[in-house]
Amino acid sequence: MDIPGFISTILWPIKWVVELLLVSFHSLFGTLGMDPAEGLTWVLSIVGMVLVIRAALIPVFVRQIKSQRKMLEVAPQLKKIQDKYKGKKDQFSREAMSRETMELYKRTGTNPLSSCLPLLLQMPIFFSLFSVLNDAQKGNAGVGLLNTQLARQFGDAQLFGIAPLHMSFQQATGTGNVAVMVIAVIMVILMTGSQFITQLQIMSRNQSPEAKNSPMFKQQRILLYILPLVFAFSGFSFPLGVMFYWLTSNLWTMGQQFLVIRNMPTPGSEAAKAREIRLAKKGKLNIATASDGSIDHVVLEAPKTTQRQQPVGKNRAKKQGEKK
Amino acid sequence: MKAVALWVFLVPRNLAVLFLRFYRAVISPLYGDVCRYYPSCSSYTLQAIQQRGLVMGSVLGIYRIIRCHPWAAGGIDDVPPARKPHFRVTRFGFVVASSQGKG
Repeated sequence: MDIPGFISTILWPIKWVVELLLVSFHSLFGTLGMDPAEGLTWVLSIVGMVLVIRAALIPVFVRQIKSQRKMLEVAPQLKKIQDKYKGKKDQFSREAMSRETMELYKRTGTNPLSSCLPLLLQMPIFFSLFSVLNDAQKGNAGVGLLNTQLARQFGDAQLFGIAPLHMSFQQATGTGNVAVMVIAVIMVILMTGSQFITQLQIMSRNQSPEAKNSPMFKQQRILLYILPLVFAFSGFSFPLGVMFYWLTSNLWTMGQQFLVIRNMPTPGSEAAKAREIRLAKKGKLNIATASDGSIDHVVLEAPKTTQRQQPVGKNRAKKQGEKK
Repeated sequence: MKAVALWVFLVPRNLAVLFLRFYRAVISPLYGDVCRYYPSCSSYTLQAIQQRGLVMGSVLGIYRIIRCHPWAAGGIDDVPPARKPHFRVTRFGFVVASSQGKG
């Protein structure tokens, strides 16, 4: 795969960092006594690299949590906007509504959205790893710490001594390497599964009714079922090494998404209702239901005790009142 | 003749429009809502390319994505209006000459 010149210039620093992490983990596992040429060592290096990258993104995640907490304060204003556009499904009303919502977020400093740049940064990482593996297969050195010798070792590394990391399912069918095919199929299933669960969680549980009514949502639902298939098929052409990156990353996202949806759901979504009910069961929230059965608002209240209050006579009651 | 030249002139940006429409229909829904701005980064880039052409539009789009980081305040951020709109945009988003109906 040839990358046009100017894109590879942009990718250079990211590729450099990817190689730095990969080589550092590789030498760490090497000093811990693992065979540096073993496939498992390189797989663990990839996993370590993903964990470091995702852990570095945790501050981003924490920031999101903080603004989600603040969201409670602006909930009444948000509801006002939502009521204003209730039942208006034409494009112009929707646009005006998102415009006003965004304006509110900015004014109050409660923007709950995660921003685009981190997502786009992941793409070059994936791309870099892909090209590092691709180059390594040919024995080409990387741009930084991955020298020719290490690159060749990475390219030649075999998982369990039988499955080369640079090999994809497609290539394996050509050479008749059954081990690669079996590993690839298992990973494609795991990858597709985790991707599907993550998407399903976002779409079915963490979207406000307004978003669910939009025409975009129907489109999303169809894609929810088609895309895993697309991934499954494209997964067959990725080298095993890249798939390990993808799988680890997917699993991390799934866990993180689960926590976010459970603890800081989008206001008005099903997950938010579930959270309110959960909290109410613990006695931390009191739910007031509106006439149509939907949850109207939530009142914070002191936990109720299940212990029966002993009835007291007039005189004793007076005395108790005095005590307090 | 002039119409053909204009059509050729508009080809790069219309290819970009096609690509962005595809992205917005297929890839974007994967992430759900993430952008901290209105219009979203992809919508902003689409409009910028429609109004300013592929080169300037891409520059504006990239600059916008760089600004869309987790510490940005977000909010409303429209494409800076072009001095004079020369073209018409079809319902799909293709840019065509304003006088003629074909595209």
